[in-house]
Amino acid sequence: MSTRLSILIVAVGLSPALPCAAEPDPHTAAPAKRQAAAGPVNTGVIGMRIAAARDGDTVEIGPGIYREHIRIDRSIRLVGRGGPVIDGGGSGDIIEIVAPGVVLRGFTIRGTGIDLDQENAAVRATAAGAVIEDNTLEDVLFGIDLREAPGSVVRGNRIGGKKLDIARRGDGLRLWRCDGALIENNTVHDGRDSILWYSKGITVRGNTGRDCRYGLHLMFSDGVTIENNLFANNSVGIYLMYTSGVNISGNTLYRNRGPSGYGIGLKETDRFTVTGNRISANRVGVYIDGSPFTAAQPGDFHRNTIAYNDIGFTFLPSARNNELYENNFIDNIDQVSVAGRGSLEANRFWKGERGNYWSDYTGYDQNGDGVGDFIHESWTLFENMVDREPKLRLFLFSPAQQAVEFVGRALPSVRPEPKFIDEVPLMRPVPLPADVYASTPSAASLGALAVGLLLSGGAIVGAAGGRFGGPK
Amino acid sequence: MNATIAAGAVRTATPPSFGSNLATVAQRELREAVRSRWFVLYTLAFAVLGLGVSYVSAAGSGGSGLAGFGRTTAGLINLVLLIVPLMALTAGAASIASDRERGMLAYLLAQPVSRIELLLGKYLGLAAALFASLCVGFGVCAAVLSFKGEGTRVASLVWLIGLSMGLALSTLSVGVLLSVLARKASAAVGAAVFLWLTLVFVTDLGLMAGTVAMRLRVEQLLALSLVNPLQVFKMWSLHAVDANLDVLGPAGLYASEEFGGRLHAIFGLCLALWSVVPLAVAAAVFSRRSPV
Amino acid sequence: MISIQGVTKRFGRSTVLTDVSLDVLGGGSVAFWGANGAGKSTLLRCVLGLLRFDGRITVGGHDVLRAGKHARMLIGYVPQELGFYDDLRVDEAVRYFARLKGIAPRSVDAVLVGVGLPGQGRKRIRELSGGMKQRLALAVAMLGDPPVLVLDEVTASLDACGRGEFVSLLSRLSGTGRTLLFASHRVEEIAALAERVVVLERGKIETVTRASDFSGHLGADSTLHLTIRADARDSAAAVLRSGGFAPRHNGVGLLVPVRSEHKAAPFRLLADASIAIDDFELLTARSTPGHAHTEVHS
Repeated sequence: MSTRLSILIVAVGLSPALPCAAEPDPHTAAPAKRQAAAGPVNTGVIGMRIAAARDGDTVEIGPGIYREHIRIDRSIRLVGRGGPVIDGGGSGDIIEIVAPGVVLRGFTIRGTGIDLDQENAAVRATAAGAVIEDNTLEDVLFGIDLREAPGSVVRGNRIGGKKLDIARRGDGLRLWRCDGALIENNTVHDGRDSILWYSKGITVRGNTGRDCRYGLHLMFSDGVTIENNLFANNSVGIYLMYTSGVNISGNTLYRNRGPSGYGIGLKETDRFTVTGNRISANRVGVYIDGSPFTAAQPGDFHRNTIAYNDIGFTFLPSARNNELYENNFIDNIDQVSVAGRGSLEANRFWKGERGNYWSDYTGYDQNGDGVGDFIHESWTLFENMVDREPKLRLFLFSPAQQAVEFVGRALPSVRPEPKFIDEVPLMRPVPLPADVYASTPSAASLGALAVGLLLSGGAIVGAAGGRFGGPK
Repeated sequence: MNATIAAGAVRTATPPSFGSNLATVAQRELREAVRSRWFVLYTLAFAVLGLGVSYVSAAGSGGSGLAGFGRTTAGLINLVLLIVPLMALTAGAASIASDRERGMLAYLLAQPVSRIELLLGKYLGLAAALFASLCVGFGVCAAVLSFKGEGTRVASLVWLIGLSMGLALSTLSVGVLLSVLARKASAAVGAAVFLWLTLVFVTDLGLMAGTVAMRLRVEQLLALSLVNPLQVFKMWSLHAVDANLDVLGPAGLYASEEFGGRLHAIFGLCLALWSVVPLAVAAAVFSRRSPV
Repeated sequence: MISIQGVTKRFGRSTVLTDVSLDVLGGGSVAFWGANGAGKSTLLRCVLGLLRFDGRITVGGHDVLRAGKHARMLIGYVPQELGFYDDLRVDEAVRYFARLKGIAPRSVDAVLVGVGLPGQGRKRIRELSGGMKQRLALAVAMLGDPPVLVLDEVTASLDACGRGEFVSLLSRLSGTGRTLLFASHRVEEIAALAERVVVLERGKIETVTRASDFSGHLGADSTLHLTIRADARDSAAAVLRSGGFAPRHNGVGLLVPVRSEHKAAPFRLLADASIAIDDFELLTARSTPGHAHTEVHS
């Protein structure tokens, strides 16, 4: 493990995916050793109620603003009634859970410190079976930090980070060796990452992550189910590293852009299934680096819609043994790209008699079986040039690009080898449930715009035809 | 020799103001333009091609309803890049030169009109004609998109229309400069077409070759692209519609990171310079040149 | 009204006007007479402020280069041939120029009637004959009743009939008190319109004479235009030369300067030599005092 970890540190340090590559990144190392909390603990109203409680008690807290730092050292249920606010006053951690089976529910928790070395957190649990639900965390450095708290549940919380520069933010959600945890229906925004470390058998379901660096980041966490989440406007939606046995389904990945800008990134990940996801408007829809890691099981991508991304799929040359079928590739500027001078030969774009739907497929289907009568061959000279020299992307959408494509079509001698072949392309997109980010029908406003434009065009022409009489 | 002046023959006549003459000339030019064959042809071409782009791209989205930077916007940008500069350059190039050739320029300037009024009035009139053409073309596109229920955002389209007009103003200004410099209308229009080819294809292809051959750095590549008003229009459109330029690869990413929010100002400045400088040079030359 | 002081105009190396000075008082009527290239049109263009020049010209006290708009407010201009948007309607054109001159004609029809174009307002300019176009140009020039009229070879593109009508219209309209400045090749125009004649030669003022003196002086020469088949032209020229004439080729025949009392002599010479003359035309006196040869204008 330790060699793999050091490789990881080197790899992450070199990776362009991380903006602060030069500095030691706190998330590449184990959590900091717990220091003394800033200020006195359990001296306030809630603290004294906790001190007075016994294991198994339910402590209910009424509305009000409580300026205190709390340590829950017995197995109680701490429940807020009427929206009590616990205010850390901008220093240290706010709530620490050190006893197993604690329930924390119904609070607004705000104002941690901003010390990245101390990893100031709104809620930190270091005991098994914590249940943290229906809380609102505001203005926090780290949101919910679970360390060796297996079997915990994080549900229905809203976690809003401090709007700091990305290098000074903490993780909205972090799990460290928390096997069997459930992360459900939370919203994390303006944090750094939501990250799982060395945690097996976790379910991440129905969460929203937006305006963070990594919407969801898995490191060495096997057997994880990621379903029906929404990750939008992050630098990266879902990023998996050194992980095995992952099922990613029904998620929406929208507008994850920036230097890396992947909807889903898979680095040396093994035994994975990616299905039923809607991946749109990202810089790169799916990024595949050395995955699947072993030959045990082909990488499985099916029934995803990959639309309007700058690049639908990017394969690093090392990627092999992936199967893509029944996906919809719609109007990605590059549908599929190979970084550098690789080939996609070791990957397949169909399974059985079913390929993918390609919006740029030009063939037809005479026998009406839903599968195009001609193979879908993807090659364009411009894409080929861009794959070799990425700077040339600057000329995208310009007539010069079309001139290059024209030359590519007209002169077979400069035509590049096809990037990949789909032998059984689908004629129609595979239906998927509607997207969260489906465009609201803007027909009315577009129609209004059309009328307005035509009228103003007419008005200008009308003004031209107006009388030429002098001033009256 | 009759030294006395008959009463009433001379009146203290003040010539019309700058603005009044500008409006008169502009209106005349606009009217002449919208009646002309080139205007009708270009408008028709733009509308028909825009219709095609909108129709095809609306069909291509496969009813997924997914929003994003789609083929429509890309197609329209491409269309604008091809047609608008051609339209504006040739219209501008024909303006002064053909008047001179017809002997109309001397006749007009023999009226109480200053040269700046005439030049600027013609520029404004042609600009209005181009705006009308763009309104009609984009109006047709918007109509198609609204019927097809395509997920194009209205704001994107509005941006695109506005920037197309900016591009039209810049290239029109260059066209007018050509017109002032050329002796014959045919030479001016020829030069305009040549310049169009250069701006549309030659510079970009040259820059592409340069990028590969000379290993240009991203900042060099970006700076060189900013010289071409067409590239500026394209980058600005992408920036405005998509709010970032990383779609354009490393150079775009560099622009986003280095300049971020100032990109609007930078692109705006580039197009403004392209509109003002050639026109100013044209005015300077025009006020010195003989109109015959 | 018009003051021209030391005007010199160069086009590149060639000097077209050399130190021309002239004062025209209000109500005066001056014709510029001279060969092509003598600088008549150039001088008129300088007065209109169309060309830059060295020296100074004022119209009604306004410097034509510095305050060109004000100077041109006082001038109505009729060019040799009206060049304007062909598909514009006549009434639109009149309104357009009225607007440029900052006036509102009470009735375009009245303006058109005044130049003998009644009811032509709805016609397109391209539908007008040459004579009608010149009338329109005159109507435009007269808009706002300007104190100065500048006419540049206004009849050059008209046929004989049109010329006569146009000149009589001009002499009627220019009326009293208006300053008239015009360039012409034609004696009858000068006789009808000018009080003084300024003879220009090679960009300099040669003489300034009264028009009445000038007309008499002009009768001296005429030119006979003989249309002769191409193969006979050289021999015809030789015959004429031997008879004391100085014929020149002009593409379809010969131009023969003749004195008015010997106009028929060339016919006799050629008949004696059995050379057929297909057609002839007697060009009215057009030679300038300093030049014995004749100009033909198409």
